[in-house]
Amino acid sequence: MTGLLVKNAYVIDPLSGVNGEIMDIAVRDGKIVEDVRSGAVVIDAGGCLTLPGGIDSHSHVCGTKVNFGRYMSPEDMRAGRTARKGAMHVTSGYSVPTTFGNSYRYSAMGYTTVLEGAMAPLEARHTHEEFTATPHQDMLANTLFDGNWSIMEAVRDKDMKRAAAVVAWTLAAVKGFAIKLTNPGGTEAWGWGEDVHSIRDEVPHFGVTPAEIIETMIQANELLNLPHSVHIHCNNLGVPGNYQTTLDTINLAPDLNKDRQSLYLTHVQFHSYGGSTWQDICSKSEDIARAVNARPQVAIDMGQIMFGRTTTMTADGPMEWKLYMLHHNKWSNHDVELETGSGIIPVYYGRKSLVNCVMWAIGLELALLTENPWQCMLATDNPNGAPFVKYPEIIALLMSRKLREYEMKVIDPRTEHFVPLFAIDRELDWYEIAVMTRAAQAKALGITRIGKGHLAPGAEADIAIYPLKPDELDPTVDYQQVMAGFAKTRYTIKRGRVVARDGEVIVEGANSTIWSRSDVPPEYDLNQDPEFVKKFEQYYTVRMRNYPVQDVYLPRGLCIRTEASL
Amino acid sequence: MRVILKTRPRAKPKIPIEAETIIPQNFLRKNDVRVYEGNKERKLEDLFYITIEGPAVSPDQVEVILTGDTGVIKRVGEYMNAGRIIVEGDIGMHCGNFMSAGEIIIRGNADSWLGREMRGGVIRCEGNAAHYCAAGYRGEKRGMRGGTVEVLGNAGDFAAEYLCGGDVLIHGNCGDLPAVEMRGGTLTIGGDCHRPCGNMTGGTCRIFGAAHQFLPTFRKNGSEEMEYAGKQHRMAVYRGDVANRGKGTVLIRT
Repeated sequence: MTGLLVKNAYVIDPLSGVNGEIMDIAVRDGKIVEDVRSGAVVIDAGGCLTLPGGIDSHSHVCGTKVNFGRYMSPEDMRAGRTARKGAMHVTSGYSVPTTFGNSYRYSAMGYTTVLEGAMAPLEARHTHEEFTATPHQDMLANTLFDGNWSIMEAVRDKDMKRAAAVVAWTLAAVKGFAIKLTNPGGTEAWGWGEDVHSIRDEVPHFGVTPAEIIETMIQANELLNLPHSVHIHCNNLGVPGNYQTTLDTINLAPDLNKDRQSLYLTHVQFHSYGGSTWQDICSKSEDIARAVNARPQVAIDMGQIMFGRTTTMTADGPMEWKLYMLHHNKWSNHDVELETGSGIIPVYYGRKSLVNCVMWAIGLELALLTENPWQCMLATDNPNGAPFVKYPEIIALLMSRKLREYEMKVIDPRTEHFVPLFAIDRELDWYEIAVMTRAAQAKALGITRIGKGHLAPGAEADIAIYPLKPDELDPTVDYQQVMAGFAKTRYTIKRGRVVARDGEVIVEGANSTIWSRSDVPPEYDLNQDPEFVKKFEQYYTVRMRNYPVQDVYLPRGLCIRTEASL
Repeated sequence: MRVILKTRPRAKPKIPIEAETIIPQNFLRKNDVRVYEGNKERKLEDLFYITIEGPAVSPDQVEVILTGDTGVIKRVGEYMNAGRIIVEGDIGMHCGNFMSAGEIIIRGNADSWLGREMRGGVIRCEGNAAHYCAAGYRGEKRGMRGGTVEVLGNAGDFAAEYLCGGDVLIHGNCGDLPAVEMRGGTLTIGGDCHRPCGNMTGGTCRIFGAAHQFLPTFRKNGSEEMEYAGKQHRMAVYRGDVANRGKGTVLIRT
């Protein structure tokens, strides 16, 4: 493979400590190297902003529930249609586009790695098939353990090592990447029509509390030395007054890992509500941000909402039911045997709705009030808060107080009485945006070890060159240019190959699926555990030998192996 | 300005023409208008004899006249926002959907999906309309939101489904399930229909013929006099659909 040389790049690479230096980047065989021979293809970046490829640490783009969202929303498929063009397939859809639509749009924005936020282990094959059809991003899958009966039993018996063994077996079987807890305990309780309302509520029929599940899973995660921490969607999503639950959850997190956080809280915007009803809902982002600032062992993502129509989809079944009771539109709930559940509802976030305006403000406040950008990542929980194509707008809002004030004039005028957003002067700079969109994600997911999220020699050559000149541009005023710039890269380079130019994908993709596997001692190998095998055969509708995802589903699988300290 | 489009004879006349580009504003300037014949993109002049008479400075002054074998032309007037289209014969599916202003006159029959999810403007069909006349697309919560659709003949099944604004007038009979999921606006049916107004939550439906198999989930609420086609009629008033917290009104001639 001939090399590639990116010249005159204005590089911000937070993980390597580079902040705005004009430099050249040499690429050979898909990796960043010190320099290349003459004869390499040269790209002149012309002083444009050059960042490592973007990483989305929480997005719903593949899997059964996304697909259900597609077929319950034929009206969504009318939007965003593009015809076949060159190497690009036909795409359609706006909030739940086709897999290629997702892939091309991420690529146009310079994103090269995406984590699917929730994969039900039983339905992993579907997720992996769609990963293969999302060809321009390396994909990772958070695996749901919130209602796993084996985990619940281990938690009830206070057997942390058993829980670790179940996680290790399941991740290896379904080729998952990390542990996801969605409304721990609550989703499973919903199978009986019940829910939990705080982390100390007992999960009916199991005799455990969400707090015990979370604590045990954090410990088990560290016993297995997994790259990522526990990834949690807290209880009580979208309930006014739920910030107390979120604070309690943050307080549970011990500091166990020196390289990264011990607990990742996702879409925290949906978990930072004060008040007691929808009438007096208010922002508690200051309390949450204070708690996050005081605890370096937690990381969060914004879960920003943006105005417009979208589709909510989550493993949190009871919450989607509550949402249905508000909207009375079409809805879906789904149970995954012995593991988890899910729900899907199309929604519209309007500027005329005070509740939606408060939600919109909270996401931005979280990003602005969290002092350390490494602890708060930019995400919309795509498509729950907004489709990811809105990221450039969010970046512009974070970088420009002027734009926020402009927005203030067009949203519900009462909003300012319920949120502190308009009193915050902070405007993020290019470096902080680079942290919040790629570097922090790479660190939080623990994938810097495989060369993601930075541009030092040896790293994967995932590079995004944006048509923005930080020297000449004042993002606090020129927010329109910032939006346009982040929406379409000049070049997106994936593994040393230019995949997108000026927002158009020009080659067929070849992504890999990253999964993690923890090698456990034989006494913790559940394949040899008669009790586990017996229960599996007794309860599941599938045979244990048919359960694991075969290698054929991961044509380009990339395994991160770790040694468990059991 | 008057644009006359007469269909040219084609080797395979049954292949449909997808013509969402046939809207008045596209003829205002010398735009390169292209349509699809099956899955092949064609120039407009390959399929039509085009005659242009007179000037125009705004799309309101543009009148498009379609003649010839027009029954296979689909999506005419989609997203139209000004001007007038006159179809001298039948028209294919999806005519005038999403239109927001202007006028479409059809001298013959209209195929399914006439004026679907329309926002404003006027559609007048002098023949019959097929299924889903003035209805909503699958998955959408709201169908037609404004404007007027008038059909002088009969309409097929699901007429004015998901209607939530505007007026729909069908002078002949309707098929099965007119005005189901209706949320607003008015539907007037001059003739008979089957099972009207299921799951209605708002709006007014007036039926001057017989309503066969009328659903039992409507509550009778008096009667009133009403004029239609120059005659006075005594109408029974129903409220419903009570199965869905319904606040709609149905008037049926007694």
